[in-house]
Amino acid sequence: MTRSLLLTGLRDLVRRPLHSGLMVLGVALGVAVVVAIDLANTSALRGFARSTEAITGRATHQVVGGPSGLAQDVLRRIRIEGGLRASAPVVEGYVTALDLDRQPLRVLGLDVLSEGPFRAHLGGRSLADPGFERLFVDEAAVFVGAALADRYGLSLGRPLRVRVQDRVETLTVRGIIRSADAREAASLDGLLFMDVGRAQRLLKMGDRITRVDLVASDDEAERIAALLPAGVRLVSAREQAETVAQLTEAFQLNLTALSLLALVVGMFLIYNTVMFSVVQRRAVLGTLRLLGVTGEQVFALVLLETATASALGVLLGVGLGWVLGQEAVRLVTRTINDLYYVLSVTGAPLTAASVGKGVALGLGAGVLAAVAPALEAARVEPVEALRPSRLESRARRVVPGVALGGALLAVAGGILMMLAGRSLALSFAGLFAIVLGLALVAPLATVASMAVAGPIGGRLVGTLGRLAARTVTRSVSRTGVAIAALAVAVSVTIGVGLMIESFRSTVENWLDLSLRADVFISAPSPGGTRRTPVVSPDIPQRVVAVPGVEDVETFRRVRVASPLGEVQLAVADPRRPRSAAFYRFAEGEPDEVWERVRAGAVLVSEPFAFRHRLPEAGGTVQLQTDRGLRSFPVAGVFYDYATESGLVLLSSNVYERFWDDRAISSLGVYVAPGHAIEEVVADLRAALAGTALQVTPNRALRAGALEVFDRTFAVTQALRLLAVIVAFIGVWSALMALQVERTRELATLEVLGLGPRQMWGLTLLETGLMGTVAGLLALPLGWLLAVILVTVINVRSFGWTMRLEADPWLFVQALAVSVVAAALASVYPLIRLRRRSLAAALRSE
Amino acid sequence: MSRNPIIRLDRVSKDYTEGAETRRVLHEASASFAEGEVVAIQGRSGSGKSTLLNLVAGIDSPTTGEVWVAGTCINRLSPADRTLFRRDHLGFVFQFFNLIPTLRVLENVQLPAELRGRSPGEAAERARTLLGEVGLAGRESSFPDRLSGGEQQRVAIARALVQDPRILLADEPTGNLDDITGEGVMDLLERLTRGAGRTLVLVTHSLQVASRADRVHTIEDGRVVPLPGPRGRTELTQVPP
Repeated sequence: MTRSLLLTGLRDLVRRPLHSGLMVLGVALGVAVVVAIDLANTSALRGFARSTEAITGRATHQVVGGPSGLAQDVLRRIRIEGGLRASAPVVEGYVTALDLDRQPLRVLGLDVLSEGPFRAHLGGRSLADPGFERLFVDEAAVFVGAALADRYGLSLGRPLRVRVQDRVETLTVRGIIRSADAREAASLDGLLFMDVGRAQRLLKMGDRITRVDLVASDDEAERIAALLPAGVRLVSAREQAETVAQLTEAFQLNLTALSLLALVVGMFLIYNTVMFSVVQRRAVLGTLRLLGVTGEQVFALVLLETATASALGVLLGVGLGWVLGQEAVRLVTRTINDLYYVLSVTGAPLTAASVGKGVALGLGAGVLAAVAPALEAARVEPVEALRPSRLESRARRVVPGVALGGALLAVAGGILMMLAGRSLALSFAGLFAIVLGLALVAPLATVASMAVAGPIGGRLVGTLGRLAARTVTRSVSRTGVAIAALAVAVSVTIGVGLMIESFRSTVENWLDLSLRADVFISAPSPGGTRRTPVVSPDIPQRVVAVPGVEDVETFRRVRVASPLGEVQLAVADPRRPRSAAFYRFAEGEPDEVWERVRAGAVLVSEPFAFRHRLPEAGGTVQLQTDRGLRSFPVAGVFYDYATESGLVLLSSNVYERFWDDRAISSLGVYVAPGHAIEEVVADLRAALAGTALQVTPNRALRAGALEVFDRTFAVTQALRLLAVIVAFIGVWSALMALQVERTRELATLEVLGLGPRQMWGLTLLETGLMGTVAGLLALPLGWLLAVILVTVINVRSFGWTMRLEADPWLFVQALAVSVVAAALASVYPLIRLRRRSLAAALRSE
Repeated sequence: MSRNPIIRLDRVSKDYTEGAETRRVLHEASASFAEGEVVAIQGRSGSGKSTLLNLVAGIDSPTTGEVWVAGTCINRLSPADRTLFRRDHLGFVFQFFNLIPTLRVLENVQLPAELRGRSPGEAAERARTLLGEVGLAGRESSFPDRLSGGEQQRVAIARALVQDPRILLADEPTGNLDDITGEGVMDLLERLTRGAGRTLVLVTHSLQVASRADRVHTIEDGRVVPLPGPRGRTELTQVPP
């Protein structure tokens, strides 16, 4: 490519700031969304990895027990019988820092003397190291990381009020651990270090410990494993951490897929802008061809121009993505804290990997979107420069072929989805193919709709009505794509909206079913579903004594080991059987099923059955009990939307047979007939005064659960909105392009007497038609998207089945959004049109 | 020139600004054209012929001076009112026809009548009559790109006349046509304007076209200069294009 040719292209970018700007914006918005979500996801994962690093340190293995932890004797066995000195006892638990935005903090009780080989930032120093003796100054002494201290202005001696299980305790900051290494400093965030003995007392663990960390070779590990009593296991530290991190995989993949959708919508915008630029420059391109420039050179020129604009878009998008990422990481972290595990992430620094992804996707999407217009430009013959209508007539000819190709792509997407099995990535690829395929049908649908709309418009408003419809058809290469972009964005709104609505309604029904007691009593959880604080053993008696209390049920939530990984157990009071609606699959009547549960069978939640591929009947679950590994028959599968990782429900009489843990996580209180729930709640609160226990009426707990649900979908809602914004800009740019292209035609109409109101009417009619077609296309596409999201993606992501609910209002809203977005998009082009000189407009080509 | 002037330019100047430079195209130009008169405007390329026509049509505004059309000083009107004024009083014929490509021949012609408030049926009836008058009966359903240049210009003339305007403005109406076709178009224009007592102001480079006018003006140094001739008609001078 010659220098002059290159200059032609680059100067054209400069001479058309509006169009170059739109191209840059298309890339920038798409890249920004992708980078923001990527930053949020990677920051969350990095935050998790760092906190794991701080907690496991250099440990290669961990010795872990059941819900009640380990007896200290295990440590003695490891050290004396196993001869392994590199072993350190750890006590771990969660508290809520009441004065630090009520954030959850992880208590790490360590034996400083044993820490040498493990955690460099703490145990790397000896007790003689000035400062560490302060951990023993008083019972409440804690050390905190410098990041937390700096964020909340914590200084030495500062009291720290925390809620621990059902109590409020005051700890004292006795040390602030600073690290010159930024990575290490970040890993300390969200942690409270204590002496192991003091942590045992704080967490009411008696003389038991959470685990023993080891630095051991494979041979040593094998030797230690053989020494361990029943119910105590040796696990690889890395695997343990990875299992937890994998919990959020599906959630994060869903977000990534949605962010990529924003980039796809951005590609429509780029395509439209480049296509417009090619149409506008046909005469120039024709002349260049006349001067001997080859088709290949023209093709390369257009791609180079787009790549230049895309590069600018990428720069802008990465910056914008970083800004959006700070909010996205907050939302993602909150959801992970709500649903998965406690995580403290305070920011989303830009990483080379995220920038790399943004650059690759932005440039790739930009160039890919420009291929079709560049091919069109390369096909320009010198003689065609004088016949500007050729492009559109060719576009109209290829419309049926494009639609057929789109339909085939959609079918291929459907087949891919069917063949994808459990692969979420392939399912999303199938979904994308379906969406893109149906988007390609949009131009044909546009032409067909306008063929109907023209005569109707003519009958209703005369020639202007016909003119509006034909204008949309005439520029189908641009209007069709703008309509496709808007239809995809609006269908995402419908699909995701229906999915969230269906999910919410399913969860609401499920809450009605599962929250049966009138009042619930529990210690507030510091976050996540992984750790459930316990209630003091004397509480049930105090509750039963309250007037109006008819019955009290106890619940226990614990995590136990199993060959399938860590499993969450829900231990239920066996006295009250579940109703038929509780079960997804169960053999026999609900009462019979419940009888089997009382006798020793378990029920598994739907995600658990999905995740571990359990058969509908006849399956078994092996669990690591305090009596060793035991097998439990599965009596049925029940609906549960509380945990994505799955739940195994068993009766408390069975639990007590196999586990020594007698703690209670929460209580369900049934109010006697004739007593007002509010009064009983007030009496319960009075009876439990002095504890940190929460007394929550059924209705409030239900509302709280739905609040968490809504928070979970905050990012999804934001992405949904962003897709519409990108599409809006797409329609806007298409309209701008159309108005510029029709400058002379519109000026002629004005000379012929088209008044300002009529001009507004004509333009609004055109955009209204485009918006209506996009909206009408979006309705079935959105419904299809919802069906796929609900019945395929959600099941493959989380194992949840839900009832698809079609709220007609959502469809009406979507159609209105589509029409209003298109109509609004025409406002600026119209204002711009009014500002231009009529005489100059008549002279324009 | 006993008839009343229907168009009057009073010391009209028009400047165009391009960057830091200002170019004066018309300089205190004055002229008046009578009702029912056919006037041709000639001049070199860039002399301001089309600018003059645009000022009369209210498509452009003078920098100074006044433009009176049918008793209204149109440069005092708002852009919106100028559009309405044009709709009621003026017909315009362009060099490149400026037909709306997405409208059929009949629709192109009936559109201005509809814009003025006539019902589509009434407008179509009037358009059909005019298409008959310009010799295009039977071509109502064609799209403009199916017509020859001469036919397209005849559609444009029909369109300009559909509102029955008192004044017809034509910017190089034969500039894009061969001589014979151009002659035909001029015959038509003359017949439809003189016959109805309309005023026709046309800008042209062509001597033959200008020879049909009652009077010919040329633009020199930004001023409108009448070319004298017998019976008030023009004694033509060659004006280079």
